[in-house]
Amino acid sequence: MTTAKTNEAVRRYNYRFLTAMAFYVLFILGGGFAFRLYHPTGATAYLLATLPSLPIVLSLVIVARYLGEEKDEFRRDLQVQAMLCAMGATLAVTSVWGFLELFLANIPHFQLYLVFPMFWLFVGISAVLLMQLRYR
Amino acid sequence: MKNQLRVLRAQRGWSQADLADRLEVSRQSVNAIETGKYDPSLPLAFKLARLFETAIEEIFQDEV
Repeated sequence: MTTAKTNEAVRRYNYRFLTAMAFYVLFILGGGFAFRLYHPTGATAYLLATLPSLPIVLSLVIVARYLGEEKDEFRRDLQVQAMLCAMGATLAVTSVWGFLELFLANIPHFQLYLVFPMFWLFVGISAVLLMQLRYR
Repeated sequence: MKNQLRVLRAQRGWSQADLADRLEVSRQSVNAIETGKYDPSLPLAFKLARLFETAIEEIFQDEV
């Protein structure tokens, strides 16, 4: 039954996404340790610094696969809408912050690696808001 | 889009979950379609029509 298959798509998505995020955390912590203890240079340094972004890129593929595997068109639509809202919110926040940084000296620098968790935070908030306000 | 899903469902004594199982979608989907907040795709509309043994126009009414 597709209700079960739908849950199956969500289950696979959660499993893949959490696995990717586990590697993300592992690479960040591992990289931090490695840089502090061994002070790597050259290609090794580049490799270690790039590793955390690999699960991030992979997670985009995981989302694309979820959208392909999700048989429930309403849920698929909801996910796409939540991601569009989150994309808008992320672009708005980072742009506003960017100009604040440009013109005001006392604004702390926004680290680019924070864009990704920020986007997913907005996806979660958007999904909840859409369900509560639009489809309730 | 206005629709007769609630009536058709009640005539058969099905809950939203029953209809969701028969359509192979989530209960939230049935609720969103029934309350007119989500318009189903043509394949899903045909599936509904087949399930209720009626025409799509008998289930969904275009508000013009």
